[in-house]
Amino acid sequence: MKFDWLVAWRNLDVFVDGVKLTIFLAVATMTIAVPGGIVLAVMRMSGIRALAAIATAFIELFRNIPLILVIYMAYYVLPVMSGLSASPLVTGLIALSLNVSAYNGETFRAGIASIRKGQSEAAYALGMSPWQTFRIVVLPQAVKRVLPVLASTWISLFKDTSLVSVISVGELSYAATRVRAQTFRVLEVLTAMAAIYWVLGYPQAKLVDWINHRWGRAE
Amino acid sequence: MTTSSENSPSRKAAGATPVVTYRDVIKRFGNVTVLTGVSMEVRKGEVVCLIGPSGSGKSTLLRCTNGLERIDGGEILLDGQLLPSDGKGLRLMRRRMGMVFQNFELFPHKTALDNVAVGPITVLGISRSDAEKRAMALLAKVGLSEKAENYPSQLSGGQQQRVAIARALAMEPEIMLFDEPTSALDPETVGEVLAVMKRLAEEGMTMLVVTHEMTFARRVSDWVVVMDKGAIIEQGPPKQIYDAPQVNRTKEFLSHLGWSG
Repeated sequence: MKFDWLVAWRNLDVFVDGVKLTIFLAVATMTIAVPGGIVLAVMRMSGIRALAAIATAFIELFRNIPLILVIYMAYYVLPVMSGLSASPLVTGLIALSLNVSAYNGETFRAGIASIRKGQSEAAYALGMSPWQTFRIVVLPQAVKRVLPVLASTWISLFKDTSLVSVISVGELSYAATRVRAQTFRVLEVLTAMAAIYWVLGYPQAKLVDWINHRWGRAE
Repeated sequence: MTTSSENSPSRKAAGATPVVTYRDVIKRFGNVTVLTGVSMEVRKGEVVCLIGPSGSGKSTLLRCTNGLERIDGGEILLDGQLLPSDGKGLRLMRRRMGMVFQNFELFPHKTALDNVAVGPITVLGISRSDAEKRAMALLAKVGLSEKAENYPSQLSGGQQQRVAIARALAMEPEIMLFDEPTSALDPETVGEVLAVMKRLAEEGMTMLVVTHEMTFARRVSDWVVVMDKGAIIEQGPPKQIYDAPQVNRTKEFLSHLGWSG
């Protein structure tokens, strides 16, 4: 059997476009899912029963069904239900954001709950409002505390973006699939794809280790 | 029960206007009544020490004063105004009362300077540069000018508590509430915090202090209130409480702390 390792090189532009889209999806998803997670956590901890119930239902739904199913449903069901049609890219972004927001919601909830009551009391004693107390005193400490968890979520997300290839979003996996279909060079293309994910992911994983080391220590 | 009259002529601030008035204050936690109808006053310029065994309700009374705990009965007045129960009204009252906590509760993600400046900036709407000027002056006052850029984790317990006092003072309160301010400190740093408090007292700050520091209560306070089981069992000038307590339970409590008069 002869291998043609240059197949990836000849299709470099396709791979590069895929990588760009993968990075865009991960960044855009996190940009939505961090505030999304904070909102969910605040809703769940608000003490307002209706808000808490909505947030709990959202979190427990999207944490407990497979991401690929969310992607399919966003693609096939959402347009029918809502009457709106979105591009595959936007659909994929929505699905990823739903999933990661649910995870982040629980992450932020744990982080916020870990800030001791005396901190809020000190803020209240100064005359701060609940919102000021949350924004100025509680949230910055909570974010710092959950940074290692967010970093792990990021690593998972980066790889999970590959799942949106099932709805033809042209990110790295989809690009690789196309090259494979055109060249029939399955092993070479899969190897190239693995190498690219690894090269992109490894420094990130190392960065997470560093973040864990730097920020993950107890107060 | 022999309790000195509220209007005892021996009270230094007799005739002075009350800053905080408690009338029949009742507080329950579930089925437990922790304050069983407490009435007392803190008058302008006075240092009042609240003493008594743990669990007697001292800290709870202090925390009711600025609404960190809601009372279940009676009333608390600041300058003759009833403590409001709505959030906004309560916040307006709280900025007039400074509070110092047993565990300091400095904001760990802010420098000493920012800890002191954050209240004026966010609550009073003062510009950052003015607030920082005020904060620097207060840090100097508590002897920590050089620590302005340090984070709380880089300060000793005594230094943290002095920053916490400066933070409370930055709101220019009418009264300072101290909740066992030295109980969490190493013995060697207790003195520096008490010294700052003593200076405040000498400047005429109205202070309500929950404390186990009997020497401080004896020397610095104008009025001592002894609590036990959610009630005031005795109050009077420190000389009377420490040298000639009228109530047996006070004697027991003081002798238990090794106070020999």
